[in-house]
Amino acid sequence: MTKEDLPLGSIQVSPRAIATIAYQAALRSYGVVGLAHKNFLNGVSHAIVKDPQYGIDVSYDGVEINIDIYIIVEYGTRIAQVASSVKDTVRYQVEKAIGLPVSTVNVHVRGLRISEED
Amino acid sequence: MDFEQNQSAHSMEKQALDGQELKKYIEAGLTWLRTNQQIVNSLNVFPVPDGDTGTNMVLTMQAAYDEIANNNETNFGKIVHSVAHGALMGARGNSGVILSQIWRGFARAVDNINVLDAEYLVKGLAMARDTAYKGVVRPVEGTILTVAKDVATAAQIAFTEKADMKYILEKIVTAANESVERTPELLPVLKEAGVVDSGGKGLFFILEGMLRYVKGLPLESPTTTVQPLASMNLQRTMETIEPGQDVEVVIDFRPYDKFDIEDFYNNLEKIGTSIQLGEGDGIYRLHIHVADGRQYEPIEYVKKVGVFTKVAMENLAVQMEQIELKSSGSQLTLARVEPGQIAAVAVVPGPGIARVFASLGVAAIVHGGQTMNPSTQEILSAFENLPTDKIVILPNNKNIIQTAEAASTLTVKRVSVIPSRSVPQGLAAMMRLIPHGDFDEVVKEMNKAMFDVESGEITRATRSVEIDGVAVKEGEFIALHNGKLVLSTTNLQEATLGLLRSAHADHFELITLFYGIDVTKQEANRIADEIRFAYPEQEIEVQDGGQPHYYFIISIE
Repeated sequence: MTKEDLPLGSIQVSPRAIATIAYQAALRSYGVVGLAHKNFLNGVSHAIVKDPQYGIDVSYDGVEINIDIYIIVEYGTRIAQVASSVKDTVRYQVEKAIGLPVSTVNVHVRGLRISEED
Repeated sequence: MDFEQNQSAHSMEKQALDGQELKKYIEAGLTWLRTNQQIVNSLNVFPVPDGDTGTNMVLTMQAAYDEIANNNETNFGKIVHSVAHGALMGARGNSGVILSQIWRGFARAVDNINVLDAEYLVKGLAMARDTAYKGVVRPVEGTILTVAKDVATAAQIAFTEKADMKYILEKIVTAANESVERTPELLPVLKEAGVVDSGGKGLFFILEGMLRYVKGLPLESPTTTVQPLASMNLQRTMETIEPGQDVEVVIDFRPYDKFDIEDFYNNLEKIGTSIQLGEGDGIYRLHIHVADGRQYEPIEYVKKVGVFTKVAMENLAVQMEQIELKSSGSQLTLARVEPGQIAAVAVVPGPGIARVFASLGVAAIVHGGQTMNPSTQEILSAFENLPTDKIVILPNNKNIIQTAEAASTLTVKRVSVIPSRSVPQGLAAMMRLIPHGDFDEVVKEMNKAMFDVESGEITRATRSVEIDGVAVKEGEFIALHNGKLVLSTTNLQEATLGLLRSAHADHFELITLFYGIDVTKQEANRIADEIRFAYPEQEIEVQDGGQPHYYFIISIE
């Protein structure tokens, strides 16, 4: 739970909420054609339920917010550039939304989608 | 220009474009985009990188062009595939990736066709749109994607009206422009920032560049740029005066309410060349070169768009002669940098030291040193003016390292501060600069090389004090070895020799003396002779450093 203590009380943001923001940001990033789960078994169960944080892992240890994203990239794009733009977009959107710094955003490219052969 | 104009008009008349002709279109698009790069850069709303969109798109297009620059293939389809490949490999940033997808889609549609005609142009643009949209799950409208879509639609409509490539090209440029103007309506973040989408604008410039090429319009001079007054660089344009354009006219004016900059440029282009427009606080400054006898025309024209406050005129032909006389041999030639290369920026305390750095391949010089720290802005401008996004900076003074670091956080370019605390350290690091090298490797090497050299400085104490166990009286010569005070004496020669002793100069090979403005050449040579006598095994070099405060800056390596 991400916590910010204010004079008149406190605000708590759950990792789940952060994951939702990250999920939306990732799907809007150019070159990302889908998200993947970090391990296969979870992937199967999640495929059945529509999960707003599928493919996103948020951890908060009381000090740092760390986000892991597992993406599938369009074949034929420059993967490093796509991944780096996902990293920037997700960090920006999360920080803008919750107003707290994110310490790391790790992008894992889990696969490529070939939509058309060149 | 006339020749090119006829030639391109010809290729359009044929209603077909082969691979070699496409090359010129790509080059025109790239050149025009580069000319307007800063406009696109200034449209960034995202406070985090997508970097500078303009720079990213230029680098992507440059990579695309490089791929075909020396290719003699005439098959249109094959050349477009090479363009797409180059764009993919060189894609920079989000907009670069999308741009590469646009080319990829276009290439698919024209696969292996010999020459492009109107029908394939329309097909290509449609496929470009489809491919670009396939690259993302949730396309964001109000971006370069929207512009690509509107361009494809406009091409389809234009084709039904007239199956003529030039006609279609004109229509799609208009459509791209209108589409860019609409982006704030589709994307709230643009509206909040009061800008249009940068990637879309970049795509527009590429297309417009192609159209300008067809029409035979110039591609090198911007038609709508307004730069801040302070950054107008009049000196540089002097080096590029065209024969016949002998008079430089500078006019300050305050325009009336409605001021159409594009129209302004278009009209002035009929009068002269090297047009620059600067703005500060509502006052505009126009700079233009005109032929002798036409120097009053710009004034007459400016009177139509506003009230002028000041006019200055200079005879360039005479000026150039004077400059050539003055600078013969002493002009600083800085290294030319290509996009993608590593450029070095050096902060230097004096003109002689600047020359030494320039001879080692520095691409930009910022003046500054002890007691004359450059501003963050000065350093930042040096970064921004370099045509590459990989930069190393050598502060060459411990007081400037922080400023350099601050400046490096303000740019989206990749900047590494090599924390050189003295001129000798900076020079040693410069020896390891490899412009084509891997950035991280080069930075590592430069950081290491800094410590291959011992630095000495001889200056005068500004007050009496005791530091590092050395008692110093105001006005005495003091010697600093690697920034640490080693002795204080009333005699310059003694201070210099004392420093070399303390630095164990006898264990080294080369001693270089940079003498400052407070030392005459004779005095410097005399002391150098004394050093030669004391250190017969070592090679001694004397250089005019031209730095203030420091009598000598000494490099021992």
